[in-house]
Amino acid sequence: MAGLNRRTPSSPEAPAVEAVEPVEPIEPIEAAEVVDAAGSAEAAEAVAPDAPEVPDVQEPASEEAELKAPEAVVWNPSPTPKKTPRAAAKAEPVEDPEPKQPAKFNWPLPVALVVVGLLLGGLATFFLVKSRSVSYDEALVDAGATSEVNGQIREAVEKSFSYNFADVESTEKAAKELLTGKALCQYNAVFGPVKEVAPQQKLVVTVRVVSSAVSSLKDGHATVLVFADQVTTRTTDNQTGGGTAMLRVSAVDDGGRWKIDNMEMFGATADQNRQLQGC
Amino acid sequence: MRVFTGVAVVFAVVMFVFAVFSGFVWYSARGSSESSFAAERDDALRSGQVGITNFLTLDYKKVDEDLQRWLNSSTGDLRAEIDKDKDSRKKQLVDAKSVTTSKVLDAAITELDDRAGTASMIAVVESTVTPDGGQQVTKINRYLTKLTRTDDGWKLSQLGPLRAGV
Repeated sequence: MAGLNRRTPSSPEAPAVEAVEPVEPIEPIEAAEVVDAAGSAEAAEAVAPDAPEVPDVQEPASEEAELKAPEAVVWNPSPTPKKTPRAAAKAEPVEDPEPKQPAKFNWPLPVALVVVGLLLGGLATFFLVKSRSVSYDEALVDAGATSEVNGQIREAVEKSFSYNFADVESTEKAAKELLTGKALCQYNAVFGPVKEVAPQQKLVVTVRVVSSAVSSLKDGHATVLVFADQVTTRTTDNQTGGGTAMLRVSAVDDGGRWKIDNMEMFGATADQNRQLQGC
Repeated sequence: MRVFTGVAVVFAVVMFVFAVFSGFVWYSARGSSESSFAAERDDALRSGQVGITNFLTLDYKKVDEDLQRWLNSSTGDLRAEIDKDKDSRKKQLVDAKSVTTSKVLDAAITELDDRAGTASMIAVVESTVTPDGGQQVTKINRYLTKLTRTDDGWKLSQLGPLRAGV
């Protein structure tokens, strides 16, 4: 196969190679000059066998087995009549040292380089894919960012779910500023009923986050588990009720400010869940 | 020919540099303290979830097995406490005649000290209690637990519910 591969691509140059051979009996000196000009060991190897005409055909033939021997014999005569030996001889030695040797013997080098390059490229890609999979969640790892998310989400939950009938605006303002997207709708679903009865009952709702933890922080998205206590006071008759809430909050980094974009309540009533699903 | 060889050399060299570079990126990403910290956090979280589930799952018909599992999941104060009142606790559990199964709905590490090997975790747990011959009740509770790293992995060293008004 190697012999076949070698011959096919070199066919444009083959006439040149072949043309020299018949010339050699006429001007063996030129062949020697070529060796000198080329200088390198490879060149010497490449051209030296050309000097004695007969071994020339047979030496590569022994390497290339049967394939080369017959073709060399067939090819030899064909270029000879086309090109005048003189012209070919004159023209060739100028270009010979350059294209001839790689054409005949250095094919494996670039091919090997390309193969090695491709293997290295594959290896590099493998490493990059591997290092991608190494990428980790920043929760707690990036202590500063984690406490920033944690603090802002605590604040957002406390501010937007605490309510004083005397100061409705501040709650609504907080909700609009600190919630975004789906969370706004969820907020209205959960808090709407409270707001309806609040003015008549003169409700004061205080939400305090007892504990919270950032469970995920990656690519500008965060998930925070929030435990909150809620104390509701009906100032008309000073009745106080309390409750606990467990929320899983999703947040997005909106230009340096973390905003809640989704909320899930654990232990929510079926009614609440239905309302949240509607968003 | 020479042009092709040159291109091949350049290609191989560029690929070599690329491979060395990406190998370095991979190596440094894998060996970084950040990624080992993240792995530690995930480890603590997983162990904490399993530990809480173990502690909140019990069957009065196989109390010995349950108590042993509690001991295996705990260390430090928590373990000492269980070990101390083992017998009275056992009697109490057998008398209660109930089966409790629990599932952690969500949990997160609140703090992690990699060097000291301590961590805190909060968890939302759904527990289903089935009294002998009675109606089963499902409740969702929140817990705070402290974890300590031992030679045998992360274990619970403190566990308690987070009640309202804490």
